[in-house]
Amino acid sequence: MTPPPLLRLRALGKSFGRVIALRAVSLELDRGRIYGLAGENGAGKSTLVRILCGAHGGDFEGQIELDGRPFAPRNPAEAEAAGIGVFHQEIPICPNLSVAANVFLGPRMGGTSVFPRWPAIEARCRQLFRSLLDHEIDPGRLLGDCGAAERQLTLLVRALSRQARLIILDEPTTALAPGDVARLFVALRRLRDQGISLLFISHLLPELMELTDEIYILRDGRLVDHLQRQVYDARHLASQIAGKPLDETATSRQVPATIPRLEVRRLGCKGRFQDLSFQVMPGEILGVTGLQGSGRSDLARALFAAPPADSGTILVQGAETRWLRPRDAMAAGIGFVPDDRNTLGLFDDLDIQRNLGLCQLKSLATSGWLHRGRLRELAESLQRRLQIKMAHPAAPITSLSGGNQQKVLIARWLATKPLLLVMSEPTRGVDVGAKEEIGKLILRLADEGLAFILCSSDLDELLRLADRILVLHAGRFTAEFRRGTATRADLIHASAGANRLPGSVTIP
Amino acid sequence: MNAQSPIPSPEPVLPPRRPLNWTAKVRDLGVLVAAIGIGVAFALIAPGFLSTYNLLNLLRQTAELGIIAMAMTVLIVSGEFDLSVGATYAVTGVVAGLLFQVAGINIWLAGCGGLSAALFLGFLNGLLVTSARMNSFIATLATMMVFRGLAMVLSQGQPLSSFPDLAFFEVVGRAKLFGSIPVPILWLAVWGFLLYVLLHRTTYGVTVFATGDNREAANLAGIRTDRVKRLNFLLTALAAGVAGLISMGYLKTVTPTQGTGLELEAIAAAVIGGTSMRGGVGSVGGAFLGALIMAEIRTGLVLMGTNAYLQDACVGLIIAIAVILNMRISASRGT
Repeated sequence: MTPPPLLRLRALGKSFGRVIALRAVSLELDRGRIYGLAGENGAGKSTLVRILCGAHGGDFEGQIELDGRPFAPRNPAEAEAAGIGVFHQEIPICPNLSVAANVFLGPRMGGTSVFPRWPAIEARCRQLFRSLLDHEIDPGRLLGDCGAAERQLTLLVRALSRQARLIILDEPTTALAPGDVARLFVALRRLRDQGISLLFISHLLPELMELTDEIYILRDGRLVDHLQRQVYDARHLASQIAGKPLDETATSRQVPATIPRLEVRRLGCKGRFQDLSFQVMPGEILGVTGLQGSGRSDLARALFAAPPADSGTILVQGAETRWLRPRDAMAAGIGFVPDDRNTLGLFDDLDIQRNLGLCQLKSLATSGWLHRGRLRELAESLQRRLQIKMAHPAAPITSLSGGNQQKVLIARWLATKPLLLVMSEPTRGVDVGAKEEIGKLILRLADEGLAFILCSSDLDELLRLADRILVLHAGRFTAEFRRGTATRADLIHASAGANRLPGSVTIP
Repeated sequence: MNAQSPIPSPEPVLPPRRPLNWTAKVRDLGVLVAAIGIGVAFALIAPGFLSTYNLLNLLRQTAELGIIAMAMTVLIVSGEFDLSVGATYAVTGVVAGLLFQVAGINIWLAGCGGLSAALFLGFLNGLLVTSARMNSFIATLATMMVFRGLAMVLSQGQPLSSFPDLAFFEVVGRAKLFGSIPVPILWLAVWGFLLYVLLHRTTYGVTVFATGDNREAANLAGIRTDRVKRLNFLLTALAAGVAGLISMGYLKTVTPTQGTGLELEAIAAAVIGGTSMRGGVGSVGGAFLGALIMAEIRTGLVLMGTNAYLQDACVGLIIAIAVILNMRISASRGT
């Protein structure tokens, strides 16, 4: 009889209220192999990981078997004791302690005594790095002084020193430079050859295809495919992750060719993005997409000088600008709708009309005295123009639905009569109907001549709204698509840093 | 199956080797240089600053603040504050004095009673912060006022004095070792040694650093961070109690208002000594030097005959300069 697999999931499911995050996922992980787990945001990858590491307190449907025995970790400590080590995107380290102290961190410091013998601990640490990863390290160095790669290797060694048999890596390469990724992969393969299993979660198809032996693909909480290394194919993977190719219902729009509203030349921000150049015409909707960490949201913020880029030039209506703070960008006619409505956009303790008039206070007041009548008029005219559903302009902002709150943020800028609106994740966290409505609003405002830059990870939205889509990968544009020339798979492919596909236009 | 090896050779990836805990060393050394530099400056300006008498006096004056500041450092390293130490300091003296004068208990037992009261107050602080989940700034601000009120109520606002001549007062605060060294300096040295070993040489010390550095990571490593914080609140309260007894011994007087503002001076000393207010960084030696620098400036200015009101302003200036220098040192370390 063959021994049971290391880990077997049977019809694993999890729902949060009415939202089903994971539906009847069954899969097996064997010893000494590297598995990939792929899927879009919201496909259920992190839910699966959190169940395995005990973060959901054992509250799930279906069964998990570890070595053929039922396993339902109720907290991270239980999962760790059972031999499951997890790396989250946020690395839990103590930057002011040494490498060795981080490896053996615990109430007894690796079981030495009340007085730790640092030379011995450091020698053990060095020995572990050598035998497990074949890596030389200075164990006395503060971990905060080490590079991102060293920090991850330290966590690997820490998990292994606690007898981990399955190591789950959640997007471990986002913070790493390419050379460090190669070193991490060498270390991971070494661990596999020592019989340890790894579950590697990544958005990046090239990395998944290079490293893993098998790939499981999740979509909408379901396991949709399971591929062996021999049959890996980038196109197939990308389309499986994205689901069926969507029919493009994009309307064609004419964008006048005049002086660009905004022109960006060789914009750069150290460590975030480099050498970005593009133009936005009046009435044009420019989409920018890319994975988390690709520089997408940093670019959005840099266009509003929050904070400004370090290098390059921005021209508004053909005139060069020098922005130091958001105020300068506002004065030039730029508006910014941030991705996190609640923490960066709205003031919960102010009413709707004050939230609406906030960027416009000067025109609503005479020498500091706020005219409530004018504020109310402004609120009512914006309400009519954008069809914001509210009981009363003086009602609390929290009484509005997510979609209407987003409209309030757009309206706030419309009151300043801007030339261009930068929106980060324009419809995150609003329901489907409101998504549609906000999309229509953006198209209507663009027809009136307002230019838009939509920085979004929602590909469907960009394909529907944007006249042009620029794709960022690792801080550079990898592709540009005109309306109607791209599919979801193309965008996913380009976001993953793959080379340009037919249909894309090279960026000069 | 080893197709991917050989590994990129390890030599080029090894970081340039630095002495261990480079930043911490530089920071402590910087504070030491500052302490010596300020001393030299005053010696040049104010004759008499370098006299043995003055230096011993300086250390004696540092004793109470230093004892509290070093314990405060341990607490701040674990990520919390204690604003109630000044009040605890008063409660200790008042309780010990009352137990002796009113209840007629043996003075040594009365002293132990004062320390027990201090420990109980520290226990309450720990409970508020770890079990009630209060922010330690708010929690100890509240208990500071409660404890001060307790000292006032117990003593009816009156100072306790005219204690008889007993060995207790000599041993705790008045005696001079070898005929010249005031005994509080001995207690400062003993307490400093104990705390140095605790924070920098034991596993407990590592758990304190880890708790303040990244509580999440410490919890995941199996460290009971709540317990660490509770113990550290006991430690600051004990330090306040010890300092309270030293003051009682030296002055042979106890007032319910004594130690007002001591908590802020202790935090200031810790900060001058390089302790990060965000937790995870700090050293016992630095806190001692911080307390010493503050005492140096006060005595130096007195010897120079400066206006007494100027002293606080100067100490404030030193705090600002010290914090700016600390941030520079931290920022200059590699990534």
